[in-house]
Amino acid sequence: MKPVEPPKLETSGLLQRLKNTNIGQAWLVLVLALCFGASLAAVQLTLGPVIEQNKLNETLQKVPELILGTAGAQKAAEQNQNLVVEPQIIVVEKGNRKIFYSVYKATLNGATTGWVVKTAGQGYADKIELLIGFNPTIETITGLFVLDQKETPGLGNKIITQKWRKQFAKKGIIQPLVVVKKGAKASNEIDSVTGATISSESITSIINKAASDLRGPLSANILKVK
Amino acid sequence: MVENKQKTESVQKASGSAVQVAPSPHLSSSSLTTQRMMLDVIIALLPVILTALYVFQWYAVKQLFICVASCLTAETLFMKMRNKPFSLNDYSATVTGLILALSLPGTAPWYVGVIASFVAIGIGKVIFGGLGMNIFNPAMVGRAFVMLAFASTLGASGYEDVTSAVNAITQATPMTVFKQAGIIAPLSDLFWGLSNGSLGETSAIASIIGGFYLCIRRTASWEIPASVIIVTAILGGIVNLINPQLEWTVLHHMFGGALLFGAFFIATDPVTSPLTTRGKFIFGAGVGAFIMLLRLFSGYPEGVMFAVLLMNALTPLINNWTIPRPLGKLLEP
Amino acid sequence: MADQPTPLERFIQGILPENPVYRQLLGLCPVLAVSNGLKPAITMSVAVAFVLLGANVLISLIRNLLKPHLRIVIFTLTIATFVTLADRFLAAYVYQMSKTLGPYIPLIIVNCIIICRCEVCASKQSVFAAASDAIGQSLGFALALSSIAVVREILGTGMLFGLRVLPTAWPDWVIMILPPGAFLTLGLLLGVINWIDSYKSKKSRSS
Repeated sequence: MKPVEPPKLETSGLLQRLKNTNIGQAWLVLVLALCFGASLAAVQLTLGPVIEQNKLNETLQKVPELILGTAGAQKAAEQNQNLVVEPQIIVVEKGNRKIFYSVYKATLNGATTGWVVKTAGQGYADKIELLIGFNPTIETITGLFVLDQKETPGLGNKIITQKWRKQFAKKGIIQPLVVVKKGAKASNEIDSVTGATISSESITSIINKAASDLRGPLSANILKVK
Repeated sequence: MVENKQKTESVQKASGSAVQVAPSPHLSSSSLTTQRMMLDVIIALLPVILTALYVFQWYAVKQLFICVASCLTAETLFMKMRNKPFSLNDYSATVTGLILALSLPGTAPWYVGVIASFVAIGIGKVIFGGLGMNIFNPAMVGRAFVMLAFASTLGASGYEDVTSAVNAITQATPMTVFKQAGIIAPLSDLFWGLSNGSLGETSAIASIIGGFYLCIRRTASWEIPASVIIVTAILGGIVNLINPQLEWTVLHHMFGGALLFGAFFIATDPVTSPLTTRGKFIFGAGVGAFIMLLRLFSGYPEGVMFAVLLMNALTPLINNWTIPRPLGKLLEP
Repeated sequence: MADQPTPLERFIQGILPENPVYRQLLGLCPVLAVSNGLKPAITMSVAVAFVLLGANVLISLIRNLLKPHLRIVIFTLTIATFVTLADRFLAAYVYQMSKTLGPYIPLIIVNCIIICRCEVCASKQSVFAAASDAIGQSLGFALALSSIAVVREILGTGMLFGLRVLPTAWPDWVIMILPPGAFLTLGLLLGVINWIDSYKSKKSRSS
C-alpha cells in the first residue's frame, strides 16, 4: 500500500513541501473524480434519451389496447389505423390543492377516441399505479392496466391478472364504482378479488377519484375542439 | 423448561444416593415433569377438541389427525438427524400438533397441515436445539409460515366452504365479516362456539374451562392469561368509549376470534414466556396490546398469532429486565 | 509480495472455499432482495461481476499511487462510477429488468464484496491477479445467488426462469417469494453447506 517514493525526494526541499500540501495528497482523488465525472456525463448524454424513450414507450404501447380493447387494438393495427397519442398534463384544483394528472389523448383520424389517465393511489401494501382508459366523455371505462403494485402475492396481486381487469371494460363511471363480493350485476359493480377486498376497493376508489376529477376538464376540452 | 430438565436429572440422581446435593433452584415438587405438564395441556385441550369435533365434525377429525401425525413424524425424523435421543414420550410434539391443528381452519387442504407441522417442529424447535431451547412458540411458527405461504387457504376466504354440510363453515369467520362488512355476530354464538373460525377458537366457554384447569394445576401461569384479558378489555373499552355507537363491544373482542384460546394455551407456553412473575405480567400485557393493535389497525382480522410471536421475541429482554434482586443485595447506585 | 496467493488460487478461492456469500457472508442485501427469481438473480450477478471486474482492474492499475489514508475514498469513487454505468446501461437496454431490480442496482455501491476485494486483493496485487480474483468472486456470488433463487422460485411459483417446472396442481408457497422466504432459504442453504463441510473434514480426518 505504501506509495513508491521517488529516491531524489530527500534532496529536494521544495518537492517535499509540495507533497505535504493538500493538493499533493489528494491529486489522485481529484483527477479520478474529474475523469469519472466526464465519462459518466458522456454516458448519460448518449443513454439518457434512450431511457426516457423507454419510460414513455411503456405507457404509450398500452394506449391502443386500453381504449379500443385487445381485439379492437389488433384490428386497428391490421388496418394500419394508428392512434395518435398526445401526452398532456391536466391540473385539477381541489380546494387549495392542485392535483396534476398525466393524461394521454388518443385521436383516430382527427376524432378523439378516448383518454388514458396515469394515476396512483394507496393500496393495501403500497402505492398502486394505474393506467385507466376512458371514453371521450369519461362516461365509461374502456380498459385498465396496473403499472406498479406491491400487493400480497397470491391474494392482492391478482389485481394484475387480465381475468380480473377485463371486467372493468364497458363499466359505467357516471355513478362511482362499487365493489361487491360476487356476481356484479349493475354497470357500476365490480367483483372483488377473492380474499383481497381492500386491494379491490383501493383500485375502484383510485378510478372513481380520477373520473370525478377529470370529467369536467376533459369533456370541456372535447367541446372546445368541436 | 430448563428447570424441569435439571429437575429430572436431580430426581434420577436422588434415586441412586441417599443424600441429594444439587445446585439451586431447589424444586419442591417432584411431580412437575415435562411429561406431566404436557399431559395436563392435553387434558385441558379436551373441551376445545370436543367442541371442534362437534362443530366441524369430519373437518376437525381430519385436521387433528394430519397435524398430530406429521408433528410426531417430524419430531422423530429431525431428532434422528441431529443425533438426539428419542423424544416422543414427553408428548411435547403431540401438544404442538394439537395446538397447531386447533389454530388452523378445518377446510385447509392436507398439505397445509403437513407443511405447518414440519416447519413448526423443524424450524420452530429442533433447529434451536430441541424442546426448551426454542425462542418462538413452535405451533405459531408453523402457522405463521403457512399463513404467509398459502394466504388464500388460510385468509379470509379460506374458512368458507360452500359445499360443506356443516352450517357454520358456510359463513366467513365473525372477525372477518366484521372487518370487511361490519356485521356483528351474536354474542351467544361466540360464547358457545356456534360460529365459524379456526377449529379451536370458536368456543369461548371451552377455552375458559380448559384454561382454568391449566391455571389450577399451575401448568400455566395465571398471570399471563389474566394480563392478556385485562389489557384487551381495557383497550376494547377505550375503543368503545371513543365510538359508543360501535356494536362490536368489549365482550365481542374477548369472545370472538382466538383471544381466549391464545391467552390460555398459546401465550402460556413455559419455554417461550418469561420466568419471573413481573415478566409474565409484562408479557401478557404486551400480547394483549399487540392483539388489539393488529385487530384494529392492520389488514388482518385477527392478531393473536403475530402478537404471541412478537412477544416471544421480546421474552429474553423481559427476563433480563426483571431479574429478581437477591436477598440483601443493594440497589445499584 | 511473496505471501500473496497466485492468480489461479485467487480464482479458485472465490468460487467455493472463500465464497462471498456462503463463506464470507458479504453482500447479503442483494442476496436477500433479488433472489426471488432466477432471471433477476442472474442479471444482478452480471451487474456485480461488471462492477467488481472494473473496480478491481482499475484499482490494481493505480495501486502504486494510492495513499493509505485516502484509499477508501478512491475505492468508493471507482465503485460508484462503475455502478452508475451498470445502472444506466440496464435502464437503456433491459428496461423491464431494471424496473424489477429497482434500487438494488444503485445499492451495489455499498455492497461490501466489492470494497473487500479492492482492499484485500486489487490494492496489493497485479492486474492479472486482481482480474482473476474478480472473476472468481463474481462466479461465487452468482452461484450463491442463483442457488437461493432456484429454491425460492421453484417453491414459490412452481416455475424456473419463468417456465413451469412443477405441475399446475402445485400449491405456490407464497412465503418463499416474500422476504421471510429469503432469510429461511439462506439460513437453510448455509446450514447445508456447513454440514457438507463438516462431513468432509470429518472424513479427511478419519482417513
